[in-house]
Amino acid sequence: MSNNIFFAIQRTLKRELKRMVSRPIYLLGSVGVMAFCYIFFLSFMNEGQPQKMPIAVVDLDNSSFSRQFVRNLQTTQHVNIVEHIFTFKEAREQMQRGEIYAFVFIEHDFYKKLATNRRPNMTFYVNNAFLVAGSLSAKDISYMCLITAGGIQRQVLRAKGVADSQIVGIVQPIAVDMHSIGNPWINYGTYLLNVLLPTMLHLMTLMLTAFCIGVELKERTSKEWLENADNSMFAGLVGKLLPYTFIFIILGIIGNLLLYKFMHFPLNSSIGWMFLATCLLVLSGQALGIFFIGLLPVLRDGITVAGIFGTLSVTAAGATFPVEQLPYFIRELTLAFPMRHYFLIYVNQALNGVDVSHSLTKFIILLSFNLLPLFVYRRLKSAAINMNYPTK
Amino acid sequence: MNDKKNKSSLLVNFKAIVKGIWQNFIHELKTTFHDRGVVIMFIIGPLIYPLLYSTLYLNETLVDVPIGVVDNSHSSFSRQIARNIDATENLKIYSNYSSLAEAQKAFENSDIHGIIYIPKNINYKLSNNEQATVSVYCDVSSFMYYRTIFQSCSYCILNMSKKIQIQRLSAAGITGASAAMIADPMPYQNISLYNAGGGLASFLLPGILVLILFQTLFFGITMLAGTSREENRFHLLVSGNAHRGRIFRVISGKAILYFLIYSVWIFYVLGIIPQLFNLPHIGNSVDIINLMIPFLLASIFFSMTVSVFIPNRETSMVLFMFMSIILLFLSGITWPQSNINGFWRTFAWIFPASHGIQGYIKINTMSADLQHVSFEYISLWIQAAVYMFTTSWAYHWQLKKATKEKDNA
Repeated sequence: MSNNIFFAIQRTLKRELKRMVSRPIYLLGSVGVMAFCYIFFLSFMNEGQPQKMPIAVVDLDNSSFSRQFVRNLQTTQHVNIVEHIFTFKEAREQMQRGEIYAFVFIEHDFYKKLATNRRPNMTFYVNNAFLVAGSLSAKDISYMCLITAGGIQRQVLRAKGVADSQIVGIVQPIAVDMHSIGNPWINYGTYLLNVLLPTMLHLMTLMLTAFCIGVELKERTSKEWLENADNSMFAGLVGKLLPYTFIFIILGIIGNLLLYKFMHFPLNSSIGWMFLATCLLVLSGQALGIFFIGLLPVLRDGITVAGIFGTLSVTAAGATFPVEQLPYFIRELTLAFPMRHYFLIYVNQALNGVDVSHSLTKFIILLSFNLLPLFVYRRLKSAAINMNYPTK
Repeated sequence: MNDKKNKSSLLVNFKAIVKGIWQNFIHELKTTFHDRGVVIMFIIGPLIYPLLYSTLYLNETLVDVPIGVVDNSHSSFSRQIARNIDATENLKIYSNYSSLAEAQKAFENSDIHGIIYIPKNINYKLSNNEQATVSVYCDVSSFMYYRTIFQSCSYCILNMSKKIQIQRLSAAGITGASAAMIADPMPYQNISLYNAGGGLASFLLPGILVLILFQTLFFGITMLAGTSREENRFHLLVSGNAHRGRIFRVISGKAILYFLIYSVWIFYVLGIIPQLFNLPHIGNSVDIINLMIPFLLASIFFSMTVSVFIPNRETSMVLFMFMSIILLFLSGITWPQSNINGFWRTFAWIFPASHGIQGYIKINTMSADLQHVSFEYISLWIQAAVYMFTTSWAYHWQLKKATKEKDNA
């Protein structure tokens, strides 16, 4: 019996390998797409964090003080002063054109007021319609304002005869010492790529699994597929999906190596746990692919659901917006997404380097996605034999 | 005499063209609405998807993120810090911990997303006019956590710092106007002109909405093309029999249908949804419509050009679903457009979606006029023209092949 199954799997495998090279979609959809994604994301975000974003200055004061401020601002990490503008309206319009992400407005007689203790106003306008660009440039500008104000405070205090040892305590009585756990560089690529690349892998696993089963139903070859596997659905599925399991796991491991070894993103535990999580992610993707096409044994429906599920995984993982803060019913729903569990493993293992016992349940849940095909086993088999579903 | 004849033949010709377009339009209308898959793409997709995404990102900002306090000084001052932080909208004190190690354990269990550490010597330093330090540790698994914790804590501590500053100044004998001058010599203000709350949905969703229009249109058109190829005897896009008209009539018949369907969606997705979910909508509607005309035309002809290379009904879904995420990045909303390198910026230029998203955000969220988005607007018209040309060329090629195959057969 077990020998029979083994041969059935072997026969299906041979059949599938032939099918795989018969049409370009199989290799394009796995190796092609993933290679594109790796190249795209790694070259797209090679800066890590957006540097030197264009901003403008409206310097109506034009004193040596304000020019010094502008020069100092120019040296910060995130902003690059590309324009000197002379009216507020023009600056606002440049912002609306998307040419600049922020501008600093220095009022008339700024230095004169400062020198005569009249506390002039410094205002900067930020475009939060592009949230990342806006908040990063705001951070640098407000930092520069704070430092400049500190410099003035120091000068005045010295003039008042306050001892240097006391000045620090007056200028800044409490200092904040910020630590970002696991990603001290606040690298933006770390946030995104660690989720986006596995999600892409997951999406393509889902789609291709649903496709390679569904296409048999559509082309009415599913009966032949099963007969070739001794009418064993198990052998048929294993033989059929094994090549893709292999390809996607290889692609996933390449992805892990790119992230942790090539890009040197934070990896605070053994890379082996990430390899394991990637393997389980591929398997759960395939299980879900079988589940979708079994539930809706029409090729187009199967891949539509797989595609929607795959793209929703980005949100469900919780990297863009934390899951804990999503509306309640959606929060519970995210548990149905393998990417959610993968993400939690990544946060615990790679980012925070927590003991692996914290991730144990997540590994088990990821593994248990493989039970899903059991629910559609009979439905899929009867669909494959009777071929009674529409083809389009 | 001759002139009259010419005129009447022109009229006949014109009538024939209109009739040809009309026939193709009706033919396409029937195929579209008989195909359940295409109906899902053209009707259900644009109807449901915006609702789904708007619901997902309903909460714009983080509220009451749990953080822990490790208070080693046990002073009234440290308790004041904790109370002030607890009082912010964004953070709440989940618990007090006796040591950093204990707080770390809670962090590992994901009970808390940040830790505030107040050292033992803080009271000593405060009463000795020295600079004291408060440490903040934050979770960076999501950019939102980092941003929220960083901003709220710095704001609270800066605020308390100011109070102490005034005390110390008066202790040094500086009071009144000169104390105010030293405490805040140049008051600075951070004003966000658009998306003042810094909400994630207000920032991300307008782009996603345009993307939904583009992607459903693309998948619908390529699915139709793949199907007609599968059903075609020679596996070509058009058959000599089905469309006896000329290329122009075939293409315009189809394009008009898609355009009409999607002009309804423009109003719903870009007009009603932002109002319904209170997303930014300060743009001039006439400008938005003005921008969306070339956007739709460019998207339709782009999809029709690509559809020539789509052999099967499902191919485009499998191969291009992942582009949804790529296009969101190429459009330059998450990663600033100024920082996209030349190669990918040129690559992004190919897709009508990137200009559509940029243009829509500038008009809708930032209240720009059409003249401010002239780059996007002109690019979209150029794309519409170029892709119309490529579509005609591709259809012409297919039709020629079809006649040739027919002759051979």
